[in-house]
Amino acid sequence: MAFVKDILDGTKTLLTGMKVTLNNFRKPSITSKYPIEKIEMSEAFRNVIVLIEKDDIQSHDCIGCKACERVCPSFCIDVDGERPEGMRRMRATEFKVDFALCSDCGLCLDVCPTDTLGYSKIHDETGYNRSDFVYDLLDPWRDAEGPTVERLRKLEEEQAAAKKARTVKKAAAKKAAAKKAETETSKETTEETPTNKNDAENNDA
Amino acid sequence: MPSNILHFFDNFWLAIGATIAIVMAYLSVNAIMLIWLERKLAARIQRRIGPTRGPFGLVQQIFDMVKLFSKELITPDHVNRVLYLIAPVMIFAPVMALCTLFPISATWVFHDYSVAVVLLLAISGVNILAIFFAGWGSNNKYALLGAVRAVAQNISYEIPLILSIIPIVMMANSLSLYGIADAQTGVPYVLLQPIAAIIFIISATAETNRAPFDIPEAESELVAGFHTEYSGMRFGMFFFAEYSNMIIVCGLATVLFLGGWKGPYLPGPVWFFIKVYALIILMMWFRWTFPRLRFDQLMKFAWMVLVPLALINLLITTFVLKLI
Repeated sequence: MAFVKDILDGTKTLLTGMKVTLNNFRKPSITSKYPIEKIEMSEAFRNVIVLIEKDDIQSHDCIGCKACERVCPSFCIDVDGERPEGMRRMRATEFKVDFALCSDCGLCLDVCPTDTLGYSKIHDETGYNRSDFVYDLLDPWRDAEGPTVERLRKLEEEQAAAKKARTVKKAAAKKAAAKKAETETSKETTEETPTNKNDAENNDA
Repeated sequence: MPSNILHFFDNFWLAIGATIAIVMAYLSVNAIMLIWLERKLAARIQRRIGPTRGPFGLVQQIFDMVKLFSKELITPDHVNRVLYLIAPVMIFAPVMALCTLFPISATWVFHDYSVAVVLLLAISGVNILAIFFAGWGSNNKYALLGAVRAVAQNISYEIPLILSIIPIVMMANSLSLYGIADAQTGVPYVLLQPIAAIIFIISATAETNRAPFDIPEAESELVAGFHTEYSGMRFGMFFFAEYSNMIIVCGLATVLFLGGWKGPYLPGPVWFFIKVYALIILMMWFRWTFPRLRFDQLMKFAWMVLVPLALINLLITTFVLKLI
């Protein structure tokens, strides 16, 4: 009887195996034709860092603050920045990363005050010597740097104008509120003093 | 009676030449297409794409053939030259002879031999001899081990193969392939003799040395088995022979169990080839599903399972035929 049972069990397992392969046969293939079609890397993919374009200024927003350079444990980032003529905001003039030294730790991304650093999706870069892996991150932006600075200056002027208008409006509103407060209780006026102070600080910066 | 190809030609030698030309052309194209089909099927089962050069990857096979033809034919030192050189020819020759036995339709028959089944089994035995020549002549331990395994396996599995054919021969009361196929009016023998059919397809897979019975050329143990020392087109001949042998055993299974050319609506040759290639796809499906058997499991399976089952089946068939 064990003989018959063995045969039946064996037949069952064989059929189960054939079912598995048939199911796989029916499913679409998961091959990516790599050199022909580039793969879309995942969001968590880490490679050499890049400067991310910001929507509002249509360029990177690196202010050359050197926070990344200081935090880098591998000393592979080299940043320099200067303040363009008549502007409040600084712009980076040099941003080099030696990817041969980089350990993809991501600390530079964390400390970046303007959040303009991100990981690139490059995954198949090759080179003949180590200097091939020194990336100049400003390279894609350099041609448009002049117009960008002009745009930024205009933006800053607009912002300043808007802020001024806002402060004027606020001051007017405050006066009105103060007047109103005088008629009611004197307690509310003391509460509004901090906001007043903040506005003054913003104007100074 | 089916017509004989010899009647089409006045000259005997012309008829022979035409037959060889047709068979050679068919087998070459068939082997190339089967390799393509196998690679595509394996790819789909493993969720890959498979060959991609040309439309559906068909051009890849032409490149492979050109590569095989243009490679150097290396004859290693220390080989037995006679056996080494004769083996690739010898493995392919019986396949060509066997191809002429099959009745492709009621009228398309090269020649209707009255003892075609016996002839087919006898000629296919030469295959084993060629494998052993290759293994012995190579003077290589892997080749010899592969050849020894192949001989042991093929002799073991020939017995259940023949034992599963005998009930069919008894039922059809004929040893001619044409007669057997002709006897299956309405019901094919696969429905009347399911156990014989299963034993036959298992033994046939073992006879062609295909997975899961591919221990003679187990690439993870024996490099390439009996054809380890062969290069270029000599290796190509072994490769061709493997796929051509599939055609032979599947053609035999079609005639014995599936009613040969018989089927509704479509003409005979179409039905015959549909059945043959369906069986070949089944064998490829086996190959990409089942793991390789160990040698003792292989022998145990042949002698402890297949032979007793085939004998019981034969006995029952005999009694039933006698009673009817």
